[in-house]
Amino acid sequence: MYRLLGHAGTTELLMGNEAVARGFLEAGGGFASGYPGTPSTEVIEALADVAKEVGIYVEWSSNEKVAVEAAYGASLLGVRSMATMKHVGLNVAADALMSIAYTGVKGGMLIFVANDPSMWSSQNEQDDRYYGLMSYVPVLTPSDPQDAKDLTVLGMELSEKLSHPFLMVSTTRVSHTRAPVILGPLRPPRTKGTFAKSQGLALVPAVARQQREKLISKWEEIERLFSELESVNAVEGEGRRAIIAGGIAYQYVKEALDEVEVKDVKVLKLSTPVPLPKGLVTKLLSDVDEVLVVEELEPVIENQVKALVTDERLGIRVRGKDLVGLVGELTLSRVRKAVRAFLGLSYQEPQTYELKLDLPQRPPSFCPGCPHRATFYALRRAVNGLRIKAIYSGDIGCYSLGLYPPFGEQDIILEMGGSVGVANGLAQAVEGQVPIAIVGDSTFFHAAVPALINAIYNNAPMLVLVLDNRTTAMTGEQPDPGSGVRATGEPAEVVSIEEIAKGVGVREVVTFDPFDLRGATQKLMEALDYVVKERKPAVAVARKACALEAVRKARRMRVQIPLYQVVDDKCTACGICYNAFSCPAILVKDDKKAWIDPSLCTGCGVCADICPYKAIVKVVKEGKGWDEVWM
Amino acid sequence: MDVSRKLSMVFVGVGGQGLMTAARVLAEAAVDSSTKALVAETHGLSQRGGSIEVHVRLGNVYSPLVPVGEAHVVLGFEMIEAARGVKYLARSGMLLTSETIMRPPLPGVRVPKRAEIESVFKSAGIRYYVVPARAIAEKVGSYMTENMVLLGALAGTGLLEGLVDMYRLRARISELPYADKNLAAFEEGLNTCRSTCGNL
Ligand SMILES: Cc1ncc(C[n+]2csc(CCOP(=O)(O)OP(=O)(O)O)c2C)c(N)n1
Repeated sequence: MYRLLGHAGTTELLMGNEAVARGFLEAGGGFASGYPGTPSTEVIEALADVAKEVGIYVEWSSNEKVAVEAAYGASLLGVRSMATMKHVGLNVAADALMSIAYTGVKGGMLIFVANDPSMWSSQNEQDDRYYGLMSYVPVLTPSDPQDAKDLTVLGMELSEKLSHPFLMVSTTRVSHTRAPVILGPLRPPRTKGTFAKSQGLALVPAVARQQREKLISKWEEIERLFSELESVNAVEGEGRRAIIAGGIAYQYVKEALDEVEVKDVKVLKLSTPVPLPKGLVTKLLSDVDEVLVVEELEPVIENQVKALVTDERLGIRVRGKDLVGLVGELTLSRVRKAVRAFLGLSYQEPQTYELKLDLPQRPPSFCPGCPHRATFYALRRAVNGLRIKAIYSGDIGCYSLGLYPPFGEQDIILEMGGSVGVANGLAQAVEGQVPIAIVGDSTFFHAAVPALINAIYNNAPMLVLVLDNRTTAMTGEQPDPGSGVRATGEPAEVVSIEEIAKGVGVREVVTFDPFDLRGATQKLMEALDYVVKERKPAVAVARKACALEAVRKARRMRVQIPLYQVVDDKCTACGICYNAFSCPAILVKDDKKAWIDPSLCTGCGVCADICPYKAIVKVVKEGKGWDEVWM
Repeated sequence: MDVSRKLSMVFVGVGGQGLMTAARVLAEAAVDSSTKALVAETHGLSQRGGSIEVHVRLGNVYSPLVPVGEAHVVLGFEMIEAARGVKYLARSGMLLTSETIMRPPLPGVRVPKRAEIESVFKSAGIRYYVVPARAIAEKVGSYMTENMVLLGALAGTGLLEGLVDMYRLRARISELPYADKNLAAFEEGLNTCRSTCGNL
């Protein structure tokens, strides 16, 4: 049985994101859409796993804007829906969010967003609770996986009751923490409905003006309702000092207070930071001398509390980011320090061991057999071969790792789809250099296509190199529109990158197999030559499956994986394979000769091609079907 | 089960070494034993052969992360990462590490040797034990079971007593694919540490 479908009353160890998925099922949700992004991805993955069993609809959408719009469409039919994404995904979907607040929803609708403080897997640190304030969409923030489940159910119910979308904003340490969760009853999902015309859905200015009035009065209603939600906005303890803790901060505050003797302090666990429940907070602060607000990322609660203290003339000091700090995720020691300073207690950092040893860094790197490594190798050859000066306009995906040595072929990395967009400006204003936009398949479908259309329309000479590994590898290999399969496993139409390129008017479109280094280099030179001579955009598609997927598929289908080894006598210790190509499966022996670790080698064979001394040879032959697993 | 106790552990290693599976199995067994368990993992970029950390806390705990200098145990799945993970170790804590060393795939990287790493552990005064995890895993018949050898070694320290029932831990391990090999690896790890770690 699926863990996600456990019986009501039992306790399961669930990751915060799985708990959100479970909450969705307990709320009778029928439609879930999302775009992958750490740390949000597992919600859709968990739901896709059980979709058939419980009869709900689950999709990976082509981007976050589409995911939100699609969930909204289902909600208009009375189906409870959810859209999921990482923090920056809401930037992409913001346009939809702002308008949905105006029209309202029918079936409960939740937008689940996972923030990534400390940028473990992101390009920025951003607090999406601000979107709630900006769009007038209420925000719920869980403090642990149990909350994540419970608030999903509550959010769905309130959303439907108020006909208003709800945001649920979590952070890495809620989304990616596994903790015991007590399950509630599953509810049969509603998955279909019919559309009924209603006023206020078509936002022309005259309608929008009316909806804006309604929105503001709804907001006041929500604020009053949040003030009464004592189940999720609970006050613990007594005293003339108060701490308001939002989201994960509550757990840190709880542990920090457990460790000290001082007990004359009240704690408000605030699960509804936006809008601030003014009634509740005013009551909390009416008999205290000082308050500390602890929250991860921006001072969203703190600023609202400060405004309230001024408005209500409460005359107390509000502490917060001055003690906690703004940058990076919260930790127990950070919160301890802030709490103890607030309570007037001293704090000593624990002693640690010092090691006198230089440790080599271990940044993430391309996996053994990753086709991206071969593509970057070929690209460097092509660029050097033509003696052009390239600007590598990079993008977000596994290929971002092309930034690191030995490749250095990602000069700019901004946001998804940015590679082609930025190259438009580079192409029009550059002198003597050639912009090469480097983008993955999922990212191409997500946000690069309009930028490619712009390159044709305004004629921006650039090479757009699409690294098509048939999947969204960076976030854990979710299928995308080019993968030929949907989130729930059904076969899908393969959307062709080449046909899109040709369709929008690109005249030079080439495709190559990155494992064929000579052919790849030639095709890249041909496309680059076209860009330089014709002064027009060209598209090159590097097509080879993600090595993780290929190897998994080979194991599943029992296809023999070939193995390569170094012939010790022929190896001259030149280091090309382990330095210039840098495959993690190729190790260096004490005599500087190469050695291939059979437990890491995926049999791609590119190193055998690269070795100038033909010292790398195949020692185990591939089985039938080997080429197919890489398609 | 002891409700006031806290046990803070940090598993460190390289993406793909099975840290998460080991942590999950342990936490599930803890929950089965009515002990609160929190497992915090770093995902995303770190999976691609980079350093990874999984924080496991059992008992009366709220924070999913172990603060620097407060881990009762650091469990290293690779020696360079174990050395990096020492920052989490409490002064009274214990370091268990596999003898595996993996070269970071960087051009011209200098990789420290086992003896070199051990000598800095020694001179820092760390209580440590190098588990012959790779050798045991190979003996058991699959290098993929190294994570269970290390989990066994952790159990062999006796620190899980009162928090995790051993029979429940074995039950959770036996739900894994290749249960026989994984269980065998666990037992071997447990025995090697039980006879050594107590005297550290
Ligand atoms: C707006 C936005 N959504 C999601 C993400 C998370 N994310 C990072 S890279 C990536 C896509 C990677 O897929 P692809 O472009 O195919 O490259 P690959 O990793 O497969 O090489 C995603 C979804 C993001 N950074 N920004």
